[in-house]
Amino acid sequence: MTQITRGTWAEAGTSLDFKTGNWRSTQRPVHIHAKAPCHAACPAGEDQQAWFAELQLGHAEDAWRSLVAANPLPGVTGRVCPHPCESACNRVQLDGALAIHNVERWLGDEAVAQGWDYPVAAPADNAPVVAIVGAGPGGLSAAYHCVRLGMRAEIFEALPEAGGLLRSAIPPTRLPRAALDAELNRLLDLPGITLNLRQRLGRDISVDDLRERFSAVLLSPGCEMPKHWSVKGAVPADLHEGLALLRDFMDHGALPEAAKGDVIVHGGGNTAMDICRIMKRAGAKSVTLITASGLPGPNTAPDDLINVVPRELEEALEEGIEIIDHATVSRLIMKGSRVTGVEIVALKKEKGKDGRKRRVEFEGTERVISVDMVVPCVGEQVSPEAFEGLLDGAYFWPDNPHGRIGERVFAIGDARGSRGTVAAAIGDGRIAAEAVAAELAGEADPVTDARPEMGFDGLNTAYYAGSARVPVAKLPVPERTFDAEIEGGISRAEALAEAQRCLSCGNCLACDNCWTMCPDNAVIKTVEMASDGSHYVFDYDYCKGCGLCTEECPTGFIQSVPETS
Amino acid sequence: MREALEGSLAIARAVALTKPDVVAAYPITPQTHIVENISKLVADGDMHTEFVSVESEFSAASVVLGAAAAGARAYTASASQGILLMSEVMFNIAGLRVPLVMTIANRAVGGPLSIWNDQSDSMAVRDAGWIQLHCISNQEAVDTTIQAFRIAQETDLPVAVCMDGFVLTHTMEVIDIPSQDEVDAFLPPFEFAGALDTANPRSMGTLVDPNYFPEVRHSHHAAMGKALAKIEEIDEAFAEVIGRASGGLLTVDGPKKAKVGIIAMGSVVGTMMAGREHYGGEVGEARIVKLRSYRPFPAKALRAAVKGLDKVIVIDRAISPGMGGVLGTEVSAVLSTLDKAPKVFNYALGLGGRDIPETMYRDLLTTIEAKDAPRFAVFDADLEKLPPEDR
Amino acid sequence: MAKTDTSKRLNELRMKHGRPPASPSEPKAEKPDTLREAQPRFRGLESGHRACQGCGEALAARLVMESAGPDVMVANATGCLEVFTTPWPQSAWRVPWIHSLFENSAAVASGMEAAMKAKGKNTKILSFGGDGATYDIGFQSLSGMLERHHNVLYVTYDNEAYMNTGIQRSSSTPHAATTTTSPAGKERMGKRHLKKDLLSIIAAHHIPYAASASVAYPQDLQRKVRYAMGVEGPTFLVIHSPCPLGWRHDSALTIEVARRAVQCGLFPLVELERGALTNIMPIREPRPVRDYLELQGRFAHLFNEKDYRAQEELDHLQALADHNMDIYGLRGDGLDPVDSTGMSHVRRGGPLMEGR
Repeated sequence: MTQITRGTWAEAGTSLDFKTGNWRSTQRPVHIHAKAPCHAACPAGEDQQAWFAELQLGHAEDAWRSLVAANPLPGVTGRVCPHPCESACNRVQLDGALAIHNVERWLGDEAVAQGWDYPVAAPADNAPVVAIVGAGPGGLSAAYHCVRLGMRAEIFEALPEAGGLLRSAIPPTRLPRAALDAELNRLLDLPGITLNLRQRLGRDISVDDLRERFSAVLLSPGCEMPKHWSVKGAVPADLHEGLALLRDFMDHGALPEAAKGDVIVHGGGNTAMDICRIMKRAGAKSVTLITASGLPGPNTAPDDLINVVPRELEEALEEGIEIIDHATVSRLIMKGSRVTGVEIVALKKEKGKDGRKRRVEFEGTERVISVDMVVPCVGEQVSPEAFEGLLDGAYFWPDNPHGRIGERVFAIGDARGSRGTVAAAIGDGRIAAEAVAAELAGEADPVTDARPEMGFDGLNTAYYAGSARVPVAKLPVPERTFDAEIEGGISRAEALAEAQRCLSCGNCLACDNCWTMCPDNAVIKTVEMASDGSHYVFDYDYCKGCGLCTEECPTGFIQSVPETS
Repeated sequence: MREALEGSLAIARAVALTKPDVVAAYPITPQTHIVENISKLVADGDMHTEFVSVESEFSAASVVLGAAAAGARAYTASASQGILLMSEVMFNIAGLRVPLVMTIANRAVGGPLSIWNDQSDSMAVRDAGWIQLHCISNQEAVDTTIQAFRIAQETDLPVAVCMDGFVLTHTMEVIDIPSQDEVDAFLPPFEFAGALDTANPRSMGTLVDPNYFPEVRHSHHAAMGKALAKIEEIDEAFAEVIGRASGGLLTVDGPKKAKVGIIAMGSVVGTMMAGREHYGGEVGEARIVKLRSYRPFPAKALRAAVKGLDKVIVIDRAISPGMGGVLGTEVSAVLSTLDKAPKVFNYALGLGGRDIPETMYRDLLTTIEAKDAPRFAVFDADLEKLPPEDR
Repeated sequence: MAKTDTSKRLNELRMKHGRPPASPSEPKAEKPDTLREAQPRFRGLESGHRACQGCGEALAARLVMESAGPDVMVANATGCLEVFTTPWPQSAWRVPWIHSLFENSAAVASGMEAAMKAKGKNTKILSFGGDGATYDIGFQSLSGMLERHHNVLYVTYDNEAYMNTGIQRSSSTPHAATTTTSPAGKERMGKRHLKKDLLSIIAAHHIPYAASASVAYPQDLQRKVRYAMGVEGPTFLVIHSPCPLGWRHDSALTIEVARRAVQCGLFPLVELERGALTNIMPIREPRPVRDYLELQGRFAHLFNEKDYRAQEELDHLQALADHNMDIYGLRGDGLDPVDSTGMSHVRRGGPLMEGR
């Protein structure tokens, strides 16, 4: 029995005997790692928040290592990616998205300059060997991830050089060849990767053959064949399809004679934009893009936005490219077999009876434009030879996220049919490699990151200092040539400063807010990182469940969940 | 050293001898001369103490509470309204078992305003849980003040030393002030086991729920009971060092065969003794019981002191309107357990400073001879001074 | 000599409060047993106290103790803080602490300080009280303590009503707020009178340092505590401490409510030395008082659109906030890392402006 002290004094700190934790009735705070929206939006599967966290501490190499755990080609994607991460960035609603793209490029270039080693070990001699068809971004990513996961990779490439469309379809103004080669070569030099050039599927090798000789086969052939284009059956005799035009130009540096006049480009992707700009730069009198999608603005729904890197769109407009959006070519006006004009008509995606959206042309909006050349740029498909039995129409269309289209056979990148970016191909390469590793180990397919996404409403923005996005230099229009890189880089100081702008959405910022503001001393700071990745643990013996830490957590990492028994 | 000193100065000197760390006080008649003299001793460097000149008695009591709680020997003094303003703190000091000493220069409590002596103030804080010692002379007040510091720290109880305002505080007497060496030999340095200490950081003044509160009160009451022996023991110890006792719990003076007794506290005891000398032959010699320890109340000693008496006159210097005298009521209660309890006559005297002449002895003894003698009265009230309806 | 004593003493205290030795004969600090013991801050106010969920006062006291301890003693007035920390036989305090009465903590602290002086000790005395104990009933003893120039830091936890007794109005209750003794009704719109401008009265004592702080700005609060701790003489801190129960807001919103109080100008954060205004927390983007009031049930009657008096009172409170802006010059001019916006900012690893 407790005996009374004379004067009823109490010993110091004895309130610890009283566990106020049982006051919690409805909610308790927990640490929930949510996906930052940049990460959720990244087709390559990068966790930008994670590598920005390293950069915030000034650890550039660690940031790069964290980055290349998903994407081995940051110097490439940091130049060519449409960066959906930035569109998704919660900071958009404060003072502009983080310049994730530019920092990624800086990290990629810095790794090359500093010679940082990829975080992979040489695979064992008896490691399983995976055959990879195509040395484009998807194939290279797959090879890298195979090695990262302890396997070997043997790449078969039809062309004399690796790089795929990075080399064949992306102008050096966006991706200087030196930058491309530097990163590619470092990757290809990794132990465990063998590159076989001039090996065309169907001519030199076959899928069945590969399947027999290798532990698994990853198909990353890309889309080489332009989709058929005609306007109500009419096709000009001197048709130049966009991607082919682009390849020819990059190989030979010349364009057809008609390209000196008024040019119409019909389509809406990055290739269309690239071809517009190259033709304009090469001396076309005018270049007009006709696109069914919309330009950014109040009249355009997010799913109807032109699928072009925003920066590229901006630069194209600077360079004098005309764009007619929400329109399509409805008729070709021919003089003989030569096109002299096009009739265009306004259209838009509208919901139909079944609720699905379809394109509706608006009668009465037709107009005729006289032109010297029409360049269709409506996409490409897989060359069907050598893939008999594997294709579903023009593409592979796998029915699973890992790209599995047969036993130990996976499809990667544009050839899957649902892709369209370098980043997506890189992501496919990783996912397929992971699935292969699991399959070979007799395990189930890896599950994709199922964490919830941290939206803007989950943040407490009172804790973020305003700071403007780093300005990035651009070549002035008159100085733009066919191979000078238009967009400039950023400095180390700028990269580190930009990193400080990261809100760390859904992840611990180690800001001490919870530790500082708990009225009940129920947040304990740990010297070592706690197992959940933060520096704090909740002492549920004393936490009363007031919810204050949840409210004041800047990043939404602390959330209140219903109290269970 | 024997000197002719005003009571207040003598008390100041006595306090200085106990070397208090902290003194806090607020001026009020008739206590003022005590604190003025302490201030002067401090100012002259004759007393090394933190003198805190507070803005109210309430703060005076609070300051000494804080000081003693922090391990300092602390002293304050007050009277009348000041005691009432202190009363909330007084209960607190005692309840927290904080040992410190206060002089109460007894004075009436208004309204109407009266600055003169009676004991209404100390009576009003009777239940605050303090030890209350009453003095009949300035010598006793000096000695009791010194003893009070030792009683306080040996019992963990605060001690109030009561001395009648003006009658003692403002009266010159020849007083023997002990030497510093004597006081040092008698009074050990201040020690309070419950004091606040950064090396052992306890919390004082907690919230105590009904599961423990009765036990807390019991322990306080028990501590008071144990203090009875301490008060006697320390008085004896004082006598050993200094050669003079102050009368323990109570002293009995007068013929063993006396049939009438007088029980009183404070300077009126001296008046009664003088009256007995003058009028004893005329009205008989009463046994006079000088009650020194009012709290704790020495019930056992009092029962022994009245042995053989038929009648007892209890003099009260305060009144509980609607009941009568407070001391008288308590004495009646204590004596009621005796087989042959003397008859108790309880008279309030000298309220608000009304002079108590030596003839009062004669008047009291004469009054109780009458068959219809009242058992309680404001004895010296002249009812002619009241309108009939207020008598 | 004195220095050796001090360091020895500090060591003793560290042993006592930070990393207790395994046994008295082994005065070497052991590795702490628990994460709690290893916390890199002084836990002057420990867990297990009975404050309500989201209590601003408990938070404020915890922050004060971290910055003030361990070589301090506390005199605590009656009130929530006292009651919820020390239900016998337990105490949440880890420094010597005493509660005496409602209205005397400044006087008790005076006595403790006098005792320290008499004994030649440097232990600083803190005196704590709520707004009732400070603005009202203990005002006199506080004034006395300041006038006598005791070396005491007085902290008032201002939750703007008598919360411990069930939300009755005090002289610190803001104009128009409802409490159980200033309810809104047909004849009344909450409290009729104004919040007492205590800080000006305190500053008029010509003391070395008096300041206001808010739980919404812990770094600022703790800087002020540390500054006051370094001052020899009386210092005073009033801390705006929301009471979820009394102000009727969600317990999770304690900081948000306090932040808005500062940002709208109703609770200015200022520092006064010897009566002169020496520092303010500038307000970057003043928020309308409405933003602050709308979070709290005690002002709900001001949002009754059918009551013509509601808008008048809203305008009155806005005018009071604007008045504060003017007399203290609170309006910031541009980006300032220590203004009402900048002081909140964090970066990875902690506050952006630690202890500025």
